[in-house]
Amino acid sequence: MGIKMKKPEILAPAGNLEKLKMAIRYGADAVYIGGQDYGLRSRAGNFDFDQMREGIAFAHGHQAKVYVAANMVTHEGDSRGSGEFFRTLRDMGIDAVIVSDPALIAICMSEAPGLPVHLSTQSSATNYKTLEFWKKEGLERVVLAREVSMEEVREIRQKTDVEIEAFIHGAMCISYSGRCVLSNHMANRDANRGGCAQSCRWKYDLFDMDHVATKQSLIKDDDEPFSMSAVDLAMIRHIPDIVGAGINSLKIEGRMKSIHYVSTVVNVYRKAIDTYCSDPENYTFDPAWEEELWKTAQRELASGFYYHIPTEKNQIFAKPRKIPQYTFAAQVIDYDQSTKMATLQQRNNFGVGEEVEFYGPGFIHHKQVIEAIWNENGNPIDRAPNAMMIVKVKVDRPVEPYYLMRKKR
Amino acid sequence: MIELIATAESVNQAKSLLSIGIDTLYVGQDQFGLRLPKSLTMDEIEEIVQEAHKFKKRLIVAVNGLMHNHHIDDVPDYLSKLDQIGVDAITVGDPGVIMTLQELNLSLPFIYDAQTMVTSAEHISFWVKRGAIGAVAARELTLIELESIQNKISVPLEVQVYGPTCIHQSKRPLLSNYFRYSQKNEATDKDRGLFLAEPKDPETQYPIYEDQNGTHIYSTEDLSLMPYLDKCVQKGLRTWKLDGVLLQGDRFVRMAQLFVAAKQAIESGTYSSAAYETKLYELQPTNRPLGTGFYLKQPGDVQ
Repeated sequence: MGIKMKKPEILAPAGNLEKLKMAIRYGADAVYIGGQDYGLRSRAGNFDFDQMREGIAFAHGHQAKVYVAANMVTHEGDSRGSGEFFRTLRDMGIDAVIVSDPALIAICMSEAPGLPVHLSTQSSATNYKTLEFWKKEGLERVVLAREVSMEEVREIRQKTDVEIEAFIHGAMCISYSGRCVLSNHMANRDANRGGCAQSCRWKYDLFDMDHVATKQSLIKDDDEPFSMSAVDLAMIRHIPDIVGAGINSLKIEGRMKSIHYVSTVVNVYRKAIDTYCSDPENYTFDPAWEEELWKTAQRELASGFYYHIPTEKNQIFAKPRKIPQYTFAAQVIDYDQSTKMATLQQRNNFGVGEEVEFYGPGFIHHKQVIEAIWNENGNPIDRAPNAMMIVKVKVDRPVEPYYLMRKKR
Repeated sequence: MIELIATAESVNQAKSLLSIGIDTLYVGQDQFGLRLPKSLTMDEIEEIVQEAHKFKKRLIVAVNGLMHNHHIDDVPDYLSKLDQIGVDAITVGDPGVIMTLQELNLSLPFIYDAQTMVTSAEHISFWVKRGAIGAVAARELTLIELESIQNKISVPLEVQVYGPTCIHQSKRPLLSNYFRYSQKNEATDKDRGLFLAEPKDPETQYPIYEDQNGTHIYSTEDLSLMPYLDKCVQKGLRTWKLDGVLLQGDRFVRMAQLFVAAKQAIESGTYSSAAYETKLYELQPTNRPLGTGFYLKQPGDVQ
């Protein structure tokens, strides 16, 4: 048995209370959520104060933390009421706020002292001096820009002791975060106030012009158009580097993503981090972890900027391969050991004869074929077609409440 | 007093711009500064600062890049050199550079320029409290917002009155990646002159190029506030930038000359925009439409 490593925090996105609880049950040490205001995900399911209180109670009951993203880039008047907002968060026990706008940072510092502030990735912190600057300003943590390489992370770690948070999984901006207003110009939606229309994922014509403005397209008939769409980040193959670099918090992107996604991704990284940190010397990467990530992946996966500047292979051209491969079918709400019957809440249509996979916290999985389904009245049915309907199925191996069931698409 | 700031691509162009009455020149090096017409050597910058001071004018140097570790390692020497040769101010967008300035204890003042992020008076005031002597407003603001900001802050707010605006910076070589993918052998630099068109609006033409800082995309139109310059003055917006990042040589000088004349007319109370607009259209390259960007929109139009 080798020397144990200090574990970094696994920080998961939580678009709503259900996702918050699921992320924590599946092993997240902390979650980040959005409030009703001052955030960047205006269409993510954001939390009101009562929901935040419930989330905090649940998280703190499980030794987990809750951060609130308030990373809007404010225009005149947008910061109105933010002092009271931050005080309310502090007083209810929020563990930190994630902010990029210096106006909001200043308000938070003066109006809600005691509430830790983390610098959002939206500020594109890319060097050790910048981290030192924010440390001096009283910030507890800086989320690095996604453009920072592993070597740069190591150097930053050596030169400053402010907490470092870095993305390890999820979608990426193709630009430096915050430095893109394509959406403002092309869709009248403010990318830095939660309106991003993802214009980078569109397909564009690319052309030159002569002095009388005659356009000549570089894209011929059968050519694939120009695009800027980035594949997603996945650092599962590089856990020793990530832990060894001294990153304090490992961030998973995706407040808009499903509980299927969040539970799966957290489960994988929890297992990998625990495996590595308990015995770094004898650690080996398990390909099953990556296979598991592919089940909910929405795009191809790559290592972002950590090892090289992304090439054309890390962008999406033409038709992406068909992913995700699995769909979320049901959640276990009860299990009777004596009858081996699981009570399920349906989340997507499934039926007798289909192969499904149950999975639970601790990276537990098993596949089986559904042999019979009973409805709430105990009558056998062929399919479970209705959203949220309660059914029973016989399971081959024991399951527990909050296990989830998925099936192939 | 109106201040007209213009980018300069060379010592010669800088001299021309000074001789026609530009108040402040703006230059830099690609390693530290973003969105420049040309990357100049330290010798060229030194010559320009001397010329500017001969005319009793100012030189601002762009140090507004997002610095990675290897950039920030070189920043202290660069700042010391700029200070030593008498540069009047720098633009800065990375707090690491501000930290470095404080540590070096130089007299070199900074103007805050974090491009798209500079959108409120409170934001700018944060940096003014930390030494900023001015700020560059995000180009996505409306005149209503700009007026409100300028009224609340104690330093000049730079407003772009002419030229393209940068709307995207990626560290990725997006054109090279595409050309490799599609097996095309094409140059990707600014001189290649490439444009993007939106899928649903083939009339759009966003300039795109690569340099050592990654890929940059610019607005489909060149901004021109020529018809609204007197209105800007009434609103207290008196620090005007002419951006020649995509307009070379003498043509940009002539464009600048037109704005100098407009400025003088406004100051003497004889400004009537129509004649200037006509001349501006004559000078404007045919492949670059003119527009007012976000300036005339209502603050609630883009959210």
